Amino acid sequence: MSNAVEIRELHYRAGKSFAIEDLDLSVPTGSIYGFLGPNGSGKTTTIRLILGLLRPRSGTIRVLGEPMPLRAPAVLGRVGFVPEQPHLDPTLTVCETLRFREAFYPTWDGDWAGRLLQTFDLDPHHPFGKLSKGQKGKVMMLLALAQRPDLLVLDEPTDGLDPVVRRDMLAALIDYVSQHGATVFISSHLVHELERMCDWIGVMDNGRLVSELPMERFKNGIKRLLVSAAPAETESAPFSVLARDRNGAATETWLVRGWEPGMSTWFDARDASLQSVIDLDLEDGFVELLRTFRTPHGKEVR
Amino acid sequence: MFRVVLYGQWKWSRIVVILGSVAGFALPILSVQGATSDPQRAMKAGELLSVIRSWGVLYPVLAAAIGLLIAIATWTPDHRGRHVLALSLPLPRWRYVLLRFTAGLVLLVPTMLGVLAGALLASATATLPPGLETYPVALAIRFALALAVAYAVFFAISAGTTRTAGIILGLIGTVIVVQVVASTAGIELDLTSPVQAVVMNWPGPLAIFTGRWMLIDV
Repeated sequence: MSNAVEIRELHYRAGKSFAIEDLDLSVPTGSIYGFLGPNGSGKTTTIRLILGLLRPRSGTIRVLGEPMPLRAPAVLGRVGFVPEQPHLDPTLTVCETLRFREAFYPTWDGDWAGRLLQTFDLDPHHPFGKLSKGQKGKVMMLLALAQRPDLLVLDEPTDGLDPVVRRDMLAALIDYVSQHGATVFISSHLVHELERMCDWIGVMDNGRLVSELPMERFKNGIKRLLVSAAPAETESAPFSVLARDRNGAATETWLVRGWEPGMSTWFDARDASLQSVIDLDLEDGFVELLRTFRTPHGKEVR
Repeated sequence: MFRVVLYGQWKWSRIVVILGSVAGFALPILSVQGATSDPQRAMKAGELLSVIRSWGVLYPVLAAAIGLLIAIATWTPDHRGRHVLALSLPLPRWRYVLLRFTAGLVLLVPTMLGVLAGALLASATATLPPGLETYPVALAIRFALALAVAYAVFFAISAGTTRTAGIILGLIGTVIVVQVVASTAGIELDLTSPVQAVVMNWPGPLAIFTGRWMLIDV
């Protein structure tokens, strides 16, 4: 499988307090890749590095098969980008903003831009600077989609928007992806939103990639186990124990990764008893993963 | 591509462009009217030249002010958007800068033409004593060059970050403080004169701003 975005051994430092260290990341072509992480974890910085807006200290970045930032002008013509903050000229009307963008992208689809204007219920004669936050978000999504990109890079595109606007934007995005097979790289705080649409998940924390997995494996692999007479030794377990907390004298709660139904026999062989297996949704899995990663003995999970 | 960049910049600069054009048109006319409004004084060549010379100071001032304001307006949309739009467009950075610079230059043209039109009109209507002549085209060309130089200098400064501007201002401030301290302490140190000589004397970059700005001369 080829990768639309491929990062290897990337190092970047911004000032003294923040650094991205030894980052490896792969976004499979045609996937919808959800990029999760708390505030300040390095998501936006990573996106800027991918787009060639920042230059890494070392390491390689390939986007759509081309090295970045070396081939940025050619690559950016095939990438639709929605940044975290509105970045467009506030004095231009929506219509003028579309004309501005059209001049730079040879693949621009004016007909579809016109249809999206209607779908998003945008007034083409309204200045961009006077639009509401939701309308600005819609305009930026429209611009990214109407240039018919092979890769969409969306940095928290629906952050702070109401559910109706979010739904409109994501519907247009899904519609485009299903028709054109484009790759989507989307960062968001809204974990449930990503859970519905993404097929890959990458989790970033403190400048490092904590986990990168297909969505199903991510969701199914992390479980909370309630164990009686828990064994001290877990090295031989066929799953990874991310954390274990004592509930009382007799039981412990384990957070494990890589769990499969037949693995309960491992407990039986050690005179332990598995009392229950609790499924975690993406948000619980995400929170537990970060909690584990941040503990002194937390280990990186790939 | 150039058309949409120019249009965007026009929206940010139009008030400056209009005011600059009006001021550029009015300045030569007012200077000649000021010099020839008194029939007695209009006949005296020396006094006339003195009045014209005093008005001449305003041409480089106008060029510097318009150049500064257009340069600031040129970069304002990018600064507002933290340059994300510019950096994410599919074209080399030098080409984007060139587009912005050229669009700003085009927006200087109305002010240049304003000075030319004003100078031609003032020349056509002025009654001059014998021995004096008008130089409307030469004045307009000189104004255009000064305007372009001022714009280019401020364009380069405005392109930088606040940190860059801070470093430049810090350097200038340091030179001034050292000079003042040296003067106060009685130390023979002249930092500003050599810099001034390099920058303001021919072929220094700002030499165009110095010398005589005369619409009417011998």
